[in-house]
Amino acid sequence: MSRVVGIDLGTTNSLVAFVQEGAPVVIRDRSGDGLLPSIVSAAPDGTIYVGREAQRRLLTDAAHTVYSVKRFMGKGVDDVRDEASLLPFRVSGESGGVVKIGLGDREFTPPEISAFILRELKRRAEAFFAEQGEVDNEVDRAVITVPAYFNDAQRTATRDAGRIAGLDVMRIINEPTAASLAYGLDKRHAGLIAVYDFGGGTFDISILRVEDGVFQVLATGGDTHLGGDDIDLLLMHRVLAQVGWTQSAERIQEIRKAVIQAKWDLSDRETTELNGAPFTREEFDTLIRPIVDRTLEPCRQALADAKLDASQIDEVVLVGGSTRIPLVRRLVGELFGRTPHSELNPDEVVALGAAVQADILVSGSREMLLLDVTPLSLGIETLGGVVSKIILRNSTIPATGSEMFTTGADNQTAVDIHVLQGERELVADNRSLARFKLRGIPPMPAGLPRVQVQFQIDANGILSVTAHELRTDIEQTIEVKPSYGLTDEEVERMLLESFEHAEADFAARLLIEARNEAETVIQATEKSLRAPEFDEIARELPQGQTQRIESALVDLKAVMESADRELIQEKTHVLNDATRLLAELMMNRSVQAALSGKNVNEM
Amino acid sequence: MSSSSPAPTIQVCRDCGGGAPVDAHFCPQCTKILSIGRHGDYFSFLGLPRRLNLDPAELEKQFRTLSRQFHPDYFYNAPPGERRASLERSSYLNDAYRTLKQPVARVEYLLQLEGFAPGGPDQGSKVPPSLLEEVFALNEELDEIRDLRASGAEESVWKARLERARGPIEHKRDAHEAGLQELSSRWDALLDARAGIVERRPVLEALRERVLERNYINNLLAGIERELAQ
Repeated sequence: MSRVVGIDLGTTNSLVAFVQEGAPVVIRDRSGDGLLPSIVSAAPDGTIYVGREAQRRLLTDAAHTVYSVKRFMGKGVDDVRDEASLLPFRVSGESGGVVKIGLGDREFTPPEISAFILRELKRRAEAFFAEQGEVDNEVDRAVITVPAYFNDAQRTATRDAGRIAGLDVMRIINEPTAASLAYGLDKRHAGLIAVYDFGGGTFDISILRVEDGVFQVLATGGDTHLGGDDIDLLLMHRVLAQVGWTQSAERIQEIRKAVIQAKWDLSDRETTELNGAPFTREEFDTLIRPIVDRTLEPCRQALADAKLDASQIDEVVLVGGSTRIPLVRRLVGELFGRTPHSELNPDEVVALGAAVQADILVSGSREMLLLDVTPLSLGIETLGGVVSKIILRNSTIPATGSEMFTTGADNQTAVDIHVLQGERELVADNRSLARFKLRGIPPMPAGLPRVQVQFQIDANGILSVTAHELRTDIEQTIEVKPSYGLTDEEVERMLLESFEHAEADFAARLLIEARNEAETVIQATEKSLRAPEFDEIARELPQGQTQRIESALVDLKAVMESADRELIQEKTHVLNDATRLLAELMMNRSVQAALSGKNVNEM
Repeated sequence: MSSSSPAPTIQVCRDCGGGAPVDAHFCPQCTKILSIGRHGDYFSFLGLPRRLNLDPAELEKQFRTLSRQFHPDYFYNAPPGERRASLERSSYLNDAYRTLKQPVARVEYLLQLEGFAPGGPDQGSKVPPSLLEEVFALNEELDEIRDLRASGAEESVWKARLERARGPIEHKRDAHEAGLQELSSRWDALLDARAGIVERRPVLEALRERVLERNYINNLLAGIERELAQ
């Protein structure tokens, strides 16, 4: 049977994990690396690179390399204009529409970029299962994590990314909750837990009550635009202020790499070097203090929402790479009055929890249950641009809410409805989720129709809407136009395109492999031709063989830069055949030499 | 006259066509999860009496037990109909839990169930008679404070007066909390004694009065908060 996995689709790094004999494990690549840098790069020939290779390309071809794409998920181009100016890649899109990211001569939406990362993780997992000797190593279903504070548009964009990558997204779960699930495994404890999740781009706080294996989120809060990236930016500003602001994109990436290294250094050292000068942890702490302080307010708010005092929290769990910073640990410890837990690797714990949840879904295991909440209130626009709340934040999901609508004019058959998410009074201060037209209302005098609109938030935290006219018992059709999302048709098209491009990408991969093979044969041949013993060996070859080898070599070199993979392969074969006897003779000689050497030593 | 319609007592399993008690969650015949149709109410759904003094631990326990029975996580592999039923039943459970957990929301819900829901065009907007005195005094005070502010008085001065103006209203609210509590206990006693509508009606009407007053008081306090925030 095909396999299911849990995926942590992170701002900086992504991971894939699965449950093996009851315990979750991270799937690593051949070099033992569990983290896949969430970076996607396009070569001039259109080949897409993901992960470490893309990370290397940041230093050589920054303009065609995308990182931190998670920050753009479910966003409109107007939301990200300020930030986009600091990034090396091209960010565009129509005002009021979704963000588009330019990569080479193609344009992608953030879900499509994320899909490259997901596909790479899928490939990694499938290669791993194949190596394990699985008969069916296909990975077609996954639980994917999102920051708890992600809104509906950001969750939907994540689910779309999964679909574009050819994954059935079984469930979207919140990162802090996933982490608590991973922690809950080895400790059958009951009590109140605070999960402080400070990652590369987002911050979350979740307060949970664990009892009888039920992990019930009481309150959640956060900032989907606050993370290690912001710390890196501060440090980059510091360096750029010293070296001058006008730098090439590649130089800026070098500086970025250096400040990240300095940040890491200061997690276990008191002092390091930055831009050729000493840089102390004290200076670092002073610089980043405002950022860390910004995480504490949501913590206090979440405690207040859960009607709890910090002293009532039994355990504090740290998640996300940014919690390695000593200042973060100290301030979180002070706020909750206890030393936070960090037994599990903060980079891996979310993926492990996602794998556990995936296993719960397919295995039917009822040992544990996650009960999460919706992070933001859901409402609709009413007269005067005011929001009327229908489902309040921190409601356990799935949740429903309904609202009665009527008409304002005689024989009116449609009503416009604007759905929003957020805590503010006014429409303009909240996040627009969708606008739709409620059609098919039977013609009646104004105010008479009674249309009940039902809002359903499912276990993924994603909204759906249905409507019902009560007087006539007619079910309404609703066309939801997402404000900052993709329509089903667009997702479908992107999935198909990804198949087409997968073929193109695959072809590009094969071409590169053919060139690599040709290169190997050319180098081996040239090495043989230059060998001091060549003249001696050549005498053993049939007449004209040396000429045949030389002309095959010239022929192959001539087609090396062509894009015709078959031609390259054909010429490679010709050269390979021509050199076979030569290679054998060379081999025999070296074996003899080795053996005779050995004999000498043994004597 | 009772304004609450008689509640249905039977539901039909869409899977096997068998009958089931209205507050059953699973079909007694085929054991499949029942789709949510003409269900009872939040209290019966949770298997709790319509009491206003609920044991919070009991509510939490029921919530967890039922969550473990219905949650969509446990119906991932089930046929679409059962998945749908699990989603509906879980949603309803969560809505019920959220409502009954909060004492005031619980009273409001009970009033609605019993056909005494606050509402109507004039209810809520006009000043409850018992609050006339306080509201009159507060409005006068607010006018004076606005004048003070308009004449350029120190912020600390008018803010201190606003803070003081809150006192009597908050006092009134505390008194109302106590009143609600006392009425809630009376309701529970009537319920335990299986009292009829004639005895229940005055308690329900008094509860409705209290809820309206409470909402009015909260609006007054929110108004002061808004002034302070300026």
